[in-house]
Amino acid sequence: MTDLAALETAPSPRATPGQSIYVTSPEMKRRNAAETRFRAYGLVAIAVSLTMLAIMLFTILRDGSSTFFQAKLSFPVELSEKVLDPKGNRDPAEMAKVTTIGYAKVLASALLAELERQGIDLGELSDKEAAELISKDAPGGLRAMVLDNPALIGTTIDATVLAGGRIDGYLKGRVTMESAQLDSNISPEQLQLADRLRTAGILSSGWNWGFFTNPDASDQRPEAAGLGVALIGSAYLMALVALMCIPVGVAASIYLEEFAPKNRWTDAIEVNISNLAAVPSIVFGILGLAIFINFAGFPQSSSFVGALVISLMTLPTIIIATRAAICAVPPSIRDAALGVGASKMQTVFHNVLPLAMPGILTGTILGLATALGETAPLLLIGMVAFVDNYPGLPLEGVLDPATALPVQVYSWASRSDPAFIERSNGAIIVLLVFLVVMNVAAIWLRRRFERRW
Amino acid sequence: MKDMRMESRVDSTVNKIEARKVQVYYGATHAIKDVDVDIADRAVTAFIGPSGCGKSTFLRCLNRMNDTIAICRVEGQILLEGEDIYDRRVDPVQLRAKVGMVFQKPNPFPKSIYDNVAYGPRIHGLTRNKAELDQIVEDCLRKAALWNEVKDRLSAPGTGLSGGQQQRLCIARAIATQPEVLLMDEPCSALDPIATAQVEELIDELRHQFSVVIVTHSMQQAARVSQHTAFFHLGHLVEFGETGQIFTNPKDPRTESYITGRIG
Ligand SMILES: Nc1ncnc2c1ncn2[C@@H]1O[C@H](COP(=O)(O)OP(=O)(O)OP(=O)(O)O)[C@@H](O)[C@H]1O
Ligand SMILES: [Mg+2]
Repeated sequence: MTDLAALETAPSPRATPGQSIYVTSPEMKRRNAAETRFRAYGLVAIAVSLTMLAIMLFTILRDGSSTFFQAKLSFPVELSEKVLDPKGNRDPAEMAKVTTIGYAKVLASALLAELERQGIDLGELSDKEAAELISKDAPGGLRAMVLDNPALIGTTIDATVLAGGRIDGYLKGRVTMESAQLDSNISPEQLQLADRLRTAGILSSGWNWGFFTNPDASDQRPEAAGLGVALIGSAYLMALVALMCIPVGVAASIYLEEFAPKNRWTDAIEVNISNLAAVPSIVFGILGLAIFINFAGFPQSSSFVGALVISLMTLPTIIIATRAAICAVPPSIRDAALGVGASKMQTVFHNVLPLAMPGILTGTILGLATALGETAPLLLIGMVAFVDNYPGLPLEGVLDPATALPVQVYSWASRSDPAFIERSNGAIIVLLVFLVVMNVAAIWLRRRFERRW
Repeated sequence: MKDMRMESRVDSTVNKIEARKVQVYYGATHAIKDVDVDIADRAVTAFIGPSGCGKSTFLRCLNRMNDTIAICRVEGQILLEGEDIYDRRVDPVQLRAKVGMVFQKPNPFPKSIYDNVAYGPRIHGLTRNKAELDQIVEDCLRKAALWNEVKDRLSAPGTGLSGGQQQRLCIARAIATQPEVLLMDEPCSALDPIATAQVEELIDELRHQFSVVIVTHSMQQAARVSQHTAFFHLGHLVEFGETGQIFTNPKDPRTESYITGRIG
């Protein structure tokens, strides 16, 4: 009662009695101005970050989207028995004696024959120079195809083979007549021939499946380099990281949040987990190199070791996110469950976890998304090595050498040929698509679980 | 005080719970001091007293809900049918199945209405089949005066009900485990007069099976539903006796000032 009386008699410091509410007081104007200013700051901040994002996406798309198309040459190839299986007995061992050089000759003569048939003039080019339009990777592919299916020998097939990297660059505008003059790998005359082949329909540009399936390729044949090994490596990495991190992280968080006594030890653990989350990833890489490779003797460059290292890094993030989600569950729910005689564990699993699920899932997926883009520790454990064999199937496959998407981006970006820079950008696009998919999944899961209650 | 139920007789004089020299500390705060109370079986005992005097704290001692508060320490003896509930051998989880609780704030699970009520019977394995469970859910919802409002939407979330409906759902949930003692912490503070009357009716009905302890800020309610009343003040049990006597003829001057509205 005394409080109320005090309120009534005390003069109000701001509003003047009798003042119309249509007139904004100077004090109110000042507050409104502050609010307007703050909103403007916010808008500017958002505009700046959106612009940066747009510029980044624009450059990556500009430089990388051409990766998804690839110049190809299509012409009939006669697989003559005389050259490819001189003994004529289809013995695989005998056929394997014909090396890629032999197949290169087959391809070269087939292309030249087609040029002659269509009456395309070689100009000043020698036959050898004209055959250089074919990718150095093509004979290997043809050889594998024939060895796989010896019945092809003696027939004429409509082959579609990769064009050389410079020709691909020419179609994409990266290589020009001027640059070809200075380039020992290509001459303007070869580019002119490429123009004629294009008109004749032999040279064309098509969807680049190879980019997703091929392994990495050597410096001389960027046109053949693909993300196959990196995609498999990243898939293994993600699967292993999820398998190792989610159960351990969630169990640790539940224990710390619900069961552990609150004392100096748990405080220390808590501080250390937060500290671990802030440790630079390269440190984890060095740790992984020392422990998992040098000490435990796991194979270098393998996705298993990569997953162990990345798990170490992701674990603190997942624990922090999960604990926050569990902590946000109102204590009254725990009381309710305990009050009807549920045990601690029933309380947690029946009532707390379902409520914490959206938060746990979002935190976990975002943690995994960070892990997907992690590069530095993988460089240290050797996943940057040039790998042109696909890793095997799980489970042994995870011990085979592999690379990962971000590492592939890094290693292509550090090669000199601009064709690799293009592929690097293409790989970034693939990586970004995966990250967007994961984030959308996080949002979707959050919605789905929240909508239920 | 006309509607005071003076005629309400104590059905039994058997004590279900006997508390002796109970002290509760929150860290260094001494919240309950030297409380001796006997809770009769098959009767309603009301705890009244000004805010912060320790009613909820004492109530939470009776089913060891205070164990969940790390800084809370309980001393003294609380006997349930002669057995010390703070004995080392007692599993508090098992105890809470016997001594159920309805909380001050409605706290339904984020599950369906049906699952809210069925939760206790399920975890305690009280039913053998779905039909039995359905029956328990319906009975409890009827007893809690909620059945008619929710019978068409048993699978709707319990959290989607109004505050008063949620509280009745919590009551249904608490009685579904068939406890022997039911502790109710201001169960009607979120209810309208009609729902309050229904809950009071329920309490009156429950006392034929259980022993009920109810914390309330409403003198009228205490007078209407209880047979015994305990008046708490600043952590002390000031007066404890038959409800009629407390309200008509309080022995302690503090009780008198409280029930006539002079302190609190
Ligand atoms: N979790 C806690 N930690 C520390 N002190 C507490 C805690 N819960 C209650 N207390 C203290 O114990 C005393 C009794 O609180 P309690 O909640 O039992 O009061 P109450 O009689 O139920 O009040 P109300 O009628 O407002 O619900 C208060 O002084 C309160 O500050
Ligand atoms: Mg209270």
